[in-house]
Amino acid sequence: MIFRQLKELIIKEMLLLLRDRQTILLLFLMPVALILFLSLAMEGVWTDKLTGRKIQLVVENKSNSPKANLLAEKTKSSKMIQNVDRPMGMDNDQIFADGKAHAIVTIPKGFDEGDKPVEIYFDPVIDAGYKIAARSLITGLTVEVVMGIENLDAVVASLVVEKTKPNKELPTPLQQNVPAYAIFAMFFIAIPMSIGFLKEKKDGTLQRLFTYPVNTNLVVLGKIMPYYLINIFQFILMMLVGVYIMSHIISFSFHLGEHPWHMLPVTLVVAAATTGFGVLIAALAKTPEQSSTLAATGAILMGVFGGIMMPHVLMPVLMKKLAMISPMYWAHQAYLDIFLRDAVFGTILPKLIVLALFSGICFYIAGRRIKWM
Amino acid sequence: MNALDISSITFCYDGATVNALQNFSLTVADGSMHALLGPNGAGKTTLMRIITGHLRNYLGDVSIYGGKIPDQDTLRSIGYAPQPISLYTTLTAMENLKFFGTMAGLKEREIKDRSEKVLEETELSSYALKYVNTYSGGMLRRLNLAVALLHSPKLLLLDEPTVGVDPQSRHHIYETLSKLNTEGMTVLLCTHIMDEAQRLCSKVTLVDKGTTIFNGNMNEICDLEKLFLEKTGRGLRDE
Repeated sequence: MIFRQLKELIIKEMLLLLRDRQTILLLFLMPVALILFLSLAMEGVWTDKLTGRKIQLVVENKSNSPKANLLAEKTKSSKMIQNVDRPMGMDNDQIFADGKAHAIVTIPKGFDEGDKPVEIYFDPVIDAGYKIAARSLITGLTVEVVMGIENLDAVVASLVVEKTKPNKELPTPLQQNVPAYAIFAMFFIAIPMSIGFLKEKKDGTLQRLFTYPVNTNLVVLGKIMPYYLINIFQFILMMLVGVYIMSHIISFSFHLGEHPWHMLPVTLVVAAATTGFGVLIAALAKTPEQSSTLAATGAILMGVFGGIMMPHVLMPVLMKKLAMISPMYWAHQAYLDIFLRDAVFGTILPKLIVLALFSGICFYIAGRRIKWM
Repeated sequence: MNALDISSITFCYDGATVNALQNFSLTVADGSMHALLGPNGAGKTTLMRIITGHLRNYLGDVSIYGGKIPDQDTLRSIGYAPQPISLYTTLTAMENLKFFGTMAGLKEREIKDRSEKVLEETELSSYALKYVNTYSGGMLRRLNLAVALLHSPKLLLLDEPTVGVDPQSRHHIYETLSKLNTEGMTVLLCTHIMDEAQRLCSKVTLVDKGTTIFNGNMNEICDLEKLFLEKTGRGLRDE
């Protein structure tokens, strides 16, 4: 009888949840929309950071002397440059205002004679990093042409060697956003979970339920399990969206890392943390309205602090430390361990212990505070 | 054996300075229909919550067909229709009945058969697959009653079963109760509708300020409303 009762409790909870359109939108559509739009918004910035976006450059050769021609040709053929023809009838300000180019290089008459220097005009709002890179490129090429050096980089290579490690900290927009907003949406389960509980308390269905020979622990399990399962389903859905849809929409692919099976224990623990948060809200709030405000505010704050809205690696030092108070930080870092760092399970385990502790504390406080009737 | 024996119950809510029930006793005979009347705040709902096992830290003794709450068989012998419409409104009537039937420990076949029976009794058969949030006030009350009847309880507890319904639905609910009582079901009816209580019930208990102020046979009472006002006074009970 216990299993039949549990099954029926789960079915009832699922039906109530799945027939609530707003909840479906909140739990499934919101994270998909956030992943899509925020990844698109971040795509440009990330391209610059990771691969160095090509600088859109107008090269004007007013000299047409041999050296000027060589400089123009070298500039245009640089891998860092995307050559742009000057649009007809547009002055520099208009070109920058319309986003046609990032910079304009003018080789003046008299360049060969050394009378006049090469002129560079930058879009006033261009990123400082771009500006340095573009100026360095033009300077280097000018030095090559004027000094008659074939390849300055080859000369410098014997003097300066770059030893940067491969990047394992800065996630791509998809590596950042897919797990981030999956976690964010999973924590939003606290809203329907707590509202459902408080509504049942208010309308007397919970009271009625306890007039039947049903165990309280079974009712608790029947209330938690559906949300736990939905959390797992949410995560799977977000992964599918990331791997099969988002990878085709934005220019970054979404790799699951060398140990994708680590997602299973991480997701099981994250879902325990999110349902713990939901139970805590249900225990603390007195009305459905109160619970929805508490849950949404709590989830947003955890997201802001936890590196969901902004990658943790880009945060200032103080914020990086503060992030550790958010369970979303630990959840997100655990997923980044899998997707970005190809970490072994031992590296992920401490994060799971923190999440399990968070879950345990939530359930403990809720157990002490909750009033069934 | 009596259906319900309550002896010398005293109960106080957390933080309250006055007892909600004070040395309260009540006996409901098997097969009877018993009216429990009292002004607002008299302690009727508290009593219902004690009988159904929601409130437990009371002094005194409650016995239902000789059993004690929360004994499983004792719980199964009670059918309770609370005053609020305690149904899942985004489920259909059938889904509600299946849920509560399973909670009551009925088997699938029993749930199906009994659901058809109680829906027929409450004239809701043609609305069985409609969502409850599309029901009118009278239909909701009838379904609230149908759920309480589903597992064929021996003792039916009704807390204001006709609040907010039209005369047709009220008449139908009372006709159903009368029929069930004739078939042997014991009914404890909490209501403010005096003429219905007088017409349907054989015994009456008046409760006020947590104590019994009258207990007797209905056929000995000429005008129940007059007696009620004499015993409980005409002053408003807004506290």
